[in-house]
Amino acid sequence: MEFTIISPRTRSELLDVIRKEKNFRFGAGCTDLLMELKKKPHANLTVINLSQIKDVQFSGFKKSAKGLRFGAMFTAHKILMNEEIRNNYTALHESAFNLASTQIRQVATVGGNLCTASPSGDIACALVALDATCELLSTSGKSRNVIISDFFTGVRKTALKKNEVLYGISVPSKSKDTKDVFSNFIKVGTRRSMECSVVSLAYHIQVNKFGEIIKAGIAIGASAPTVRFADSACKYLIGKKYKSISEKEKEEFAKKVLSYASPITDIRATAWYRKEVLFNISKSIFH
Amino acid sequence: MKKIKYNKEILHDISFFLNEKKVSCQIKASTILLDLIRDVFELKGTKPGCHEGECGACTVLVDGAPVNSCLFLAINANGKKITTIEGLINTDGSLHPIQETLVEKGAVQCGFCTSGMAMSIKAMLNQYENAQHVPGDIIQDLPTREEIKKYLEGNLCRCTGYTKIIDAAEELFKQG
Repeated sequence: MEFTIISPRTRSELLDVIRKEKNFRFGAGCTDLLMELKKKPHANLTVINLSQIKDVQFSGFKKSAKGLRFGAMFTAHKILMNEEIRNNYTALHESAFNLASTQIRQVATVGGNLCTASPSGDIACALVALDATCELLSTSGKSRNVIISDFFTGVRKTALKKNEVLYGISVPSKSKDTKDVFSNFIKVGTRRSMECSVVSLAYHIQVNKFGEIIKAGIAIGASAPTVRFADSACKYLIGKKYKSISEKEKEEFAKKVLSYASPITDIRATAWYRKEVLFNISKSIFH
Repeated sequence: MKKIKYNKEILHDISFFLNEKKVSCQIKASTILLDLIRDVFELKGTKPGCHEGECGACTVLVDGAPVNSCLFLAINANGKKITTIEGLINTDGSLHPIQETLVEKGAVQCGFCTSGMAMSIKAMLNQYENAQHVPGDIIQDLPTREEIKKYLEGNLCRCTGYTKIIDAAEELFKQG
């Protein structure tokens, strides 16, 4: 494993490096990157080491009336320990809780999980359900916002251009009429730790004081080339009472979720199994 | 951090605290912390297991947090405090309470995972002292066995069946 490394210290140094380097990869927590480079060395590769950038917008957390905003370098461990996320964005908390292991969570970042763009990314799945927005910073110093479901364009492919870096992620706060939020992340795998999902599902459902669903976010992982937002399934729920959804409605809902799945058969599970599990866990989200 | 060219290869100067002692060295860009600890500083207590972040035998503390040293770039150790199993031993050479408890509870068989386990337990004790709770849900005085299991999820042991290791960790929390 050979590469050159550059460790920018500030945002402007980072943008300079991106401008100058041709054949580079970003290294955030490096847990995926090092594994990849150990297995498949790249010639003349430069790793842009993001760990030493001192920039609170790139690694910090901020809560406002609009919602949450955290930097791309915010770690899975920090998500897990964050009280606001634990209390109000359970799907995100649980996705970090289920990610890899204690050791990996210390260094693994939100930005890394998103930019790896694995169909089974745990944090990615939760953030899709939460309707997050990605802030992409370009070498011109300007940034653009991309809705997270548009950020993923294929297996390990994102909307990031060569001259851009994922800078931060924002998650909207609940609607003003929201009384309760039902939010969770369900991960199905063959073991509980260090597991790449066989199927995953994140939901974040907001209900008003009458118990009616006013906003729903459902995302599925490891079921398609990208994490997908199950839009028609979300729309189907609007206006229904969360606590009194009938068996028939649950099935109808699960069918709609399943329509977004086009899973593959691989070493971890068959496509058939993935669909069955996805159907069943979709039905199970109503209490 | 200075960069110097040496034999066509760029070397990076780094300095950090290794078991509370300030050390400096020159490393290649791709040097992994595990190799630096074992091969340059010759501290062989940190074990190379899977080299892919699965087994946790190579766990060390970086500024108190447990990381897999096999997936940690040595360059990012610059300016940090690194603690290995050798740093756990008391100054008079006697075993740290974590090590003693692991021995007492019969939590060591082949011993390959033990240094990594001890470092993870150390990190959990640290975190508990600082935050009074661990990832999970309810904040309580002592972590449950489930919480201990969850914290040690990144450390594999193929001999003991984990029960005695978790017993040892539980005992350490009771001792406070």
